[in-house]
Amino acid sequence: MTSQTAQISASTPASAPKPVRSDFVQRYSTLGVLILMFLGFSLFVDRFLTPFNLSNILQQIAILTIVGSGLTFGFAAKEIDLSVGYTVGLAGILVPLLLTMGYPLALALLAGLLAGIIVGLINGVLITKVGIPSLIATLAMGSILFGVNFLMTGGRAIYGGLPGTYLALGQGRLFGIPNLAFFMVCAVAIAWFVMERTVFGRYVYAVGGNQKAAELSGVRITFYRMAALVLVSVFAVIAGALLASRLGSGQPNVGERYLLDGLATVFIGMTMFRPGTATVLGTFCGALFIGVINNGLNLIGMDTYIQNIVKGIIILTAVAIVSRTTKLNLL
Amino acid sequence: MSVHLSDILMEFPGTRALDEVNVAFHFNEVHGLVGENGAGKSTFVNILGGSLQPTRGRITVAGTDVTLSSPRSALGHGIAHVSQEGSLVPSLTGAENIMLGVEPRHTAGIMRRGALRSEAERLLATWFPGLDLDLHRPVGDLPMADRKVIEIVRALRGDIRLLILDEPTATLEAREKKQLWGIIKRLPTKGVGVVLISHFLSEVVELSDRITVLRDGKHVGTLDRAAASEAVLTDLMLRREAGQPEAETAAPSTPADPATAPVILAVEDWAVGSVEMDAFHLRRGEIVGLIGLTGAGHFGFARSLYARQGVVRGELSVDGQPIRGSGVRVMQRAGVALVPDHRMENALAGDGTVVENLTMVHPEFAAKSGILNRSLERREADRVIKLLNVKTPNQRQLIRNLSGGNKQKVSIGKWLYGAEARYKVLIFIEPAEGVDIGAKMEIYAHMRRLAAEGAAILIASSDLGEIAQVCHRAIPFVHGRPGADIHARDFSEGQFITAITGDAA
Repeated sequence: MTSQTAQISASTPASAPKPVRSDFVQRYSTLGVLILMFLGFSLFVDRFLTPFNLSNILQQIAILTIVGSGLTFGFAAKEIDLSVGYTVGLAGILVPLLLTMGYPLALALLAGLLAGIIVGLINGVLITKVGIPSLIATLAMGSILFGVNFLMTGGRAIYGGLPGTYLALGQGRLFGIPNLAFFMVCAVAIAWFVMERTVFGRYVYAVGGNQKAAELSGVRITFYRMAALVLVSVFAVIAGALLASRLGSGQPNVGERYLLDGLATVFIGMTMFRPGTATVLGTFCGALFIGVINNGLNLIGMDTYIQNIVKGIIILTAVAIVSRTTKLNLL
Repeated sequence: MSVHLSDILMEFPGTRALDEVNVAFHFNEVHGLVGENGAGKSTFVNILGGSLQPTRGRITVAGTDVTLSSPRSALGHGIAHVSQEGSLVPSLTGAENIMLGVEPRHTAGIMRRGALRSEAERLLATWFPGLDLDLHRPVGDLPMADRKVIEIVRALRGDIRLLILDEPTATLEAREKKQLWGIIKRLPTKGVGVVLISHFLSEVVELSDRITVLRDGKHVGTLDRAAASEAVLTDLMLRREAGQPEAETAAPSTPADPATAPVILAVEDWAVGSVEMDAFHLRRGEIVGLIGLTGAGHFGFARSLYARQGVVRGELSVDGQPIRGSGVRVMQRAGVALVPDHRMENALAGDGTVVENLTMVHPEFAAKSGILNRSLERREADRVIKLLNVKTPNQRQLIRNLSGGNKQKVSIGKWLYGAEARYKVLIFIEPAEGVDIGAKMEIYAHMRRLAAEGAAILIASSDLGEIAQVCHRAIPFVHGRPGADIHARDFSEGQFITAITGDAA
């Protein structure tokens, strides 16, 4: 038996497609690690598997998942948005600022949404019309937004005077489950539906899969690249508005960490289901991955600095795995 | 003194590219190497130049066994390869290009510019005394012939005994060609043998002392110049293997009356790049081939009918309707489709699935208000997969895992998914590029079927056998000018070669 297998594999040319089994391993190994991690923490960490802690994890990853779902649109079109953290910050300041100025909630939220669309359009124009690679255009855009965020508040946090209806969005619970979890599920469901079940999603994946081929197939590539970038920003401002609600204040620098964490969810997601391709479900699992590991390490009493190191290692590992299957041509 | 390759066997997965080839290249001769596309010429010179390692076989240089494991190791044994595409840095001067990588420098690593220039000039004067060539201008500003000379001088800068020249005159004007011929002839007198690959048979006959013919990876023979003529070489290159099915080479049945079938695509006074076409008509049910040598412009012309990039002027109409505006969407709406060459760059997303690629053009077929009906999509994709006989375990298989032939079928299938009979004109560029023989025959059968159903098909190809097999007529291109039509009843590859090399000599 053993010698037979050896013989077969020896005679298989190097370029032949990989056997089905390794394909399965490739698709689901990250998910397996996530499940093992979950079981491990459940068995060995006392306070991990409790309803309170689990709903806590959901609350902790909800905003990150929304940012990551947005970034997935960008990655599907092979556009990376490095300004996403500051876009989260932008809405996280603009919405509470308008509320403290006495504007009604609906109007404040609408303004936040509009700001997201504008940021996305500017990114889109810079990338598709001016022709600046997305990595560079959005890096510069991030710097601009960073400045804008501090200008709006004069560098101070906005708190006090926020209406209860707004605070309830991010802090309330329904049937004991945090509202944020519902928002997260909605965001994931919508993003998944758009990417997997609509013509729009097909075109976005086509543009990201091979821009030249999509163009020669008659796909309006500029439109779909722009649309993907606008969606990244729109999901980011939704996340930002919810973040300020959860914190009960608008702070100019809280969005930043959502850039790296958001990218991490997408990269981890790209190692599973369809290796090399950003998928919404993959990103969701990526967010769970980060949520479970952070929470577990927290409960063990691990320093937050150590958590950063662990996160960095996870991102590198994920990208290393992805790079083995596809070229990450993001510049 | 010679380089001797004996019993060279080269296998790629699924094909035998070279089969027991035996050739000796002497250092005092120009040795021509001819054969059709796919006959194994490139594989053979890549082995000689160290870029490929043969599966089996023996290589000796001046009687000693050697292994040519890389281009660098080939250079170490005195063998240099000047490729067809050109390998100069356009922004550097001729002298800088010649000395690239071996720049004279001070101990600290600072370049000695004066020494670099004089060394480059000395090399040029040694090899080609009396040649007037400006070595101090960026090579991007120089004529093509001068660039070729600079490449040759650079290749010769080491202790080189054998120089491989791959289509050295493909991009040159007739006058420039003659100049380069003089240079090539001079090399053997200085102890440097030349291996010359060229599509221009007249050139090979003119320059070579001996000529080796390859066909389907086999060494057909090596002839002395006295025994070689264009006619003899053509005959040797093209002779069919006994036992090859007759159907494969038979010309297709002509449409009922091609001369009276309605014109679907009409082009008047078309100018793109170096191509000028006064009038071109493609009729319903017709399969027309465009043939030519590298740089003849037939590919550019075919592409310009779909993506109108670089079109200087011209009128185009489809089904009698003049087409205004450019852009592929306009052409698509008019019913024109393109199956491009280099399919992994131009047609398919390798990391996408079969169904995603098939639905790239018309995903809306299986959608209502933008929302996909997956079972309808699966059924339609399945129809196309069955129709074209795409061999894939399922629709969710990644494209990159399919074979070349199946990839090409998906590239064609994109225009059939949800679009039955919508496309009246299908333009194919190199349709059988990297496709195995079985799939090739299937693809030709689909072309015939589509034509029989009323489509008009245009094929631009460098595979003359392919044109002979599927086309009703062929248009030869020479230096951007279309020649007289060749009709199926007059098809012979000898005729094709005469037509496309028309004014080569």
